[in-house]
Amino acid sequence: MAKVLDVINVHRIYESAAGYTHALRGVSLQVSRGEFLCVMGPSGSGKSTLMNILGGLDRPTSGTYKLEGLDVSELTDDELAELRASRLGFVFQSFNLLPRATVMRNVQLPLVYCDVPRSERVERAVKALHAVGLPPDYYDHRSNELSGGQMQRVAIARALVNDPALILADEPTGNLDSATSEMVMETFSKLRARGKTIVLITHDPEVCEWADRTVHIRDGKLLTDEEEHALHASERGNT
Amino acid sequence: MKVRDLAVETWSALDANRGRSALTVLGIVIGISAVIAMTALIGGINKALVGELGLSQAQLVYITVNTGKPLTYDDVDKMSQNLTDYDYMVATSMGSGEATTGTKKASANITGVKPAYFKAMATKFVQGRAFTDAEEGKGSLVVILDKNSVKTLFGDADAEVVGKTITLNNNEYSIVGVTESSGEMYAGADSVSLLMPFSTAATRVVGNQEVGTIMGFAHEGSNMESVVKKTKDYIAATYNIPESEREENMYVYSMQSMIDQVNATMGAFSLLMSAVAGVSLLVGGIGIMNMMLTNVTERIREIGLRKALGARRSDITRQFMLESVLLCVSGGLFGVLLGYLGALFLAVIAGGALMGESTRITPVVDLSTVLMATGICVFIGVLFGWYPARRAARLDPVESLHYQ
Ligand SMILES: Nc1ncnc2c1ncn2[C@@H]1O[C@H](COP(=O)(O)OP(=O)(O)OP(=O)(O)O)[C@@H](O)[C@H]1O
Ligand SMILES: [Mg+2]
Repeated sequence: MAKVLDVINVHRIYESAAGYTHALRGVSLQVSRGEFLCVMGPSGSGKSTLMNILGGLDRPTSGTYKLEGLDVSELTDDELAELRASRLGFVFQSFNLLPRATVMRNVQLPLVYCDVPRSERVERAVKALHAVGLPPDYYDHRSNELSGGQMQRVAIARALVNDPALILADEPTGNLDSATSEMVMETFSKLRARGKTIVLITHDPEVCEWADRTVHIRDGKLLTDEEEHALHASERGNT
Repeated sequence: MKVRDLAVETWSALDANRGRSALTVLGIVIGISAVIAMTALIGGINKALVGELGLSQAQLVYITVNTGKPLTYDDVDKMSQNLTDYDYMVATSMGSGEATTGTKKASANITGVKPAYFKAMATKFVQGRAFTDAEEGKGSLVVILDKNSVKTLFGDADAEVVGKTITLNNNEYSIVGVTESSGEMYAGADSVSLLMPFSTAATRVVGNQEVGTIMGFAHEGSNMESVVKKTKDYIAATYNIPESEREENMYVYSMQSMIDQVNATMGAFSLLMSAVAGVSLLVGGIGIMNMMLTNVTERIREIGLRKALGARRSDITRQFMLESVLLCVSGGLFGVLLGYLGALFLAVIAGGALMGESTRITPVVDLSTVLMATGICVFIGVLFGWYPARRAARLDPVESLHYQ
């Protein structure tokens, strides 16, 4: 199967007044088209750092990262912006919707930046909202009138609307209770069934059960297969 | 990002901050209204001046001489031969009387003029005609009125009066023409201005052949100051007026100096208004910048989100820049309106003080002034919006997304 993501030996070192933080220490990762991958790890392990690099919001200090064969580490700021506009969809922990804007306008926002003609926008937004299962009654509500679960589904619709090669979600259920989390995860799972490629970051093992595959990250490194096995064994031993 | 999308985004951002936006543009509103009030008023005054005088009258010089022996028409002839700066010199004979029609009565300022006067003054007739040489020769009982006088004597400025008669010092005069304006700047509201042939005025009204005020029309483009000086020197030399008596016995002044005087007053006024405008525009601009900086800080997460969704730096720059420009322009357009109302108000005050009771000043705001004001606002919006917009555009997307 064709690779959507090909990450080879990526390092990310933060420089700050406090000194250097080696947040990623040689991460290599491949994701195939249509795969739903879960990246799991404890707080501070480098999950968000990885997500930012995968999403073209940040650059690796070293290593290469290819999205659909395109070397992202070589791109200029404007090219990165265009990449985000056309090939990536983001879902955030805190939803990040425009509070006063309607659901429709929120979902259409990415289309403004990839020059989709106005005539197509409503149709595409409706399709995306339909895919996440938000009832049409809500389309004209302001986003701050919605519940957390509804907001996150609107955010997923927004990530979907530009038909991206990859949907990236950073702790999408982090602010939701378990029932709502389940509903949101069902939504992701439906997208997976329609052939979308998804990378989801979490520290919640239950969330990972929805994924095709889970990789673990610890101190900026992905666990090897042997380490994974050892981890599973110890988890089984504990229960 | 398309222009229309940019406009929609900008509009919704401004709409969300209506109260704050309105307060912030106050400085711009005041600045622009000062500019507009000033230009509208000056435009109005210039138009009133030109309307009252006619442009050609800038070349007009009034000459009155007080010697022991009054001047006669021969003196005027000699004067015009010696002073070559003038195209024409027209002798007038001034007098006054009481004019009555069937029902109305008014005191009249009577000026006797030679027919050349009308050509020199480029008089505009709304009815009838100028005097003929024959009428001058015979001393016919004919008069010419101005529109205001028609109104005073007949009740309606547009009344058909040619052929009607006026009684003046027991003589009946027939009206042969009506002019647009009398050319007199300080015409009183309750008196009328009448023109009649020089010879008629000399014999019937003034009672002698003496010349009153002489009107000289200098060549177009003459330096009026030097014309006035040469005239004064000639008169002083010809009639032996000593240096010390020049001031009181010789009165030579050009319409140009009158216009200059008004212009100087206007200049001082516009300097003051420009200073007010400049200061308020500067303060207004700084206010805009401050508000835009606050806007950027408040919307850091939104900016981060837009970047994550694919906005380029230039998209963010444009969005914030357009916001500040639109803010300034809307303030400016409001200022245009306010400035015009201010000018209307000032015109009432200044009209009476500067130009005499009878003159109405209508403030003039033309399209080019509005465009200029809009241009100034766009400039201020760009100037003071640039820094906040640049700050917004340079925000790091990752940090902005997690900004609390
Ligand atoms: N901008 C930054 N400057 C300096 N250090 C940073 C920066 N961002 C993250 N770090 C550090 O990098 C490491 C990895 O951070 P990261 O945010 O990727 O963790 P995470 O796995 O997402 O954690 P969490 O589950 O709490 O969100 C941490 O030690 C963090 O302190
Ligand atoms: Mg994180």
